[in-house]
Amino acid sequence: MAKKTVKKPDNKKFAGILVAVGIIGVGVIGYAMTHGGPKVMIVDPATLAGAAEGHLMGKADAPVQVIEFGDFECPGCGNFANLTEPDVRSRLIAQGIVGFRYYDFPLPGHKNTWTAHLSASCAEEQGKFWEMHDRIYAGQDEWSDLTAGIKNPLAVFRRYANELGLDVKKWEDCVVTQRPAARLKGNQAEGVRRNVGSTPTLIIGNQQVNSVTYDDFKKLVDKALLEVTKAKADSAKKPAAGKKGA
Amino acid sequence: MTKRMFIAVLSLGGMFLASYLTLYKLGYIGELVCGTGACEVVQASRWSRLFGQPVALYGVGFYLAMFAVAVAGSVGTLAESKKISLLLAALSGWGVLFSGYLTYIEIWQLHQICRWCVGSACIVVVLFVLSCADLADYSRAS
Repeated sequence: MAKKTVKKPDNKKFAGILVAVGIIGVGVIGYAMTHGGPKVMIVDPATLAGAAEGHLMGKADAPVQVIEFGDFECPGCGNFANLTEPDVRSRLIAQGIVGFRYYDFPLPGHKNTWTAHLSASCAEEQGKFWEMHDRIYAGQDEWSDLTAGIKNPLAVFRRYANELGLDVKKWEDCVVTQRPAARLKGNQAEGVRRNVGSTPTLIIGNQQVNSVTYDDFKKLVDKALLEVTKAKADSAKKPAAGKKGA
Repeated sequence: MTKRMFIAVLSLGGMFLASYLTLYKLGYIGELVCGTGACEVVQASRWSRLFGQPVALYGVGFYLAMFAVAVAGSVGTLAESKKISLLLAALSGWGVLFSGYLTYIEIWQLHQICRWCVGSACIVVVLFVLSCADLADYSRAS
């Protein structure tokens, strides 16, 4: 019996089809990446600004109160959060010297920042604001439109929520419906009221500065602490002086 | 066009489909064009990652492997090799099992369907059928 032969291939036609499929595929994916735009989050202009509460770490009655106006997509804020803040937390906040409040100050030029702020605030509903805050800043390079060209940061934040052990469905429902929008706007309005023009802006006692190193931060805290101590001593003297005069 | 060539072309198409889903999952694409269905729900589920990586990324790897083997088996000295047919059948068989598992998750665990995933599963089934037919051809020829 004669051996059956396998049909000889038409290589040129084959190559032509592969090239055509390749061009179409690259074209479609390229188009989706460049024209899809960021996954839009509509911010309802009718949402009134809520109370400016910030997000507290440490004691609300610590001798020195520090406020940070931060934007999650701002690289300077990322540097502060990743490089300076760990020392601030372990050496000053944990010791009860500083009470630290993070105020959301999403800047309009940053396309993914609103989603990031919502993601962190929604994590707070489950008691994990600071964990999400840290994760978002640590991963800035993988979700930022500025540095990574990411169009749908929610996909990345969803992974973070999962990693942090959040109830992802509940968290996502909060993000998508923008439950904390009023609070974010309240925090933002507080920054506008204080004439904050860039991020990160830190207010240490009554001193307003931009991003600082830990050493400079500590110097400003020491100065604020000195003023607090002096003010306490003064107020202690006043009643005593008043009694003398009476 | 031989069956292996069809396999190569289909694998290339599948690779783009899986790349699209991977890029979405990694955040490089804003929204999935889904129409009816629940692509985002499926893509957001805990089954959408395996060993920390998007499942679709494994799909890219699978299609890439199928494409490379099919191209190698379509031109040059390997065009007459039966081992290529065996490899294609084994790879696509594995693909069918994995796609079946993912489809089971969609239907029975998530109760949602992502049409891109269904599309990919269909491609894998066609690849398997073509690979088996190719293997039969080469078995008869030898």
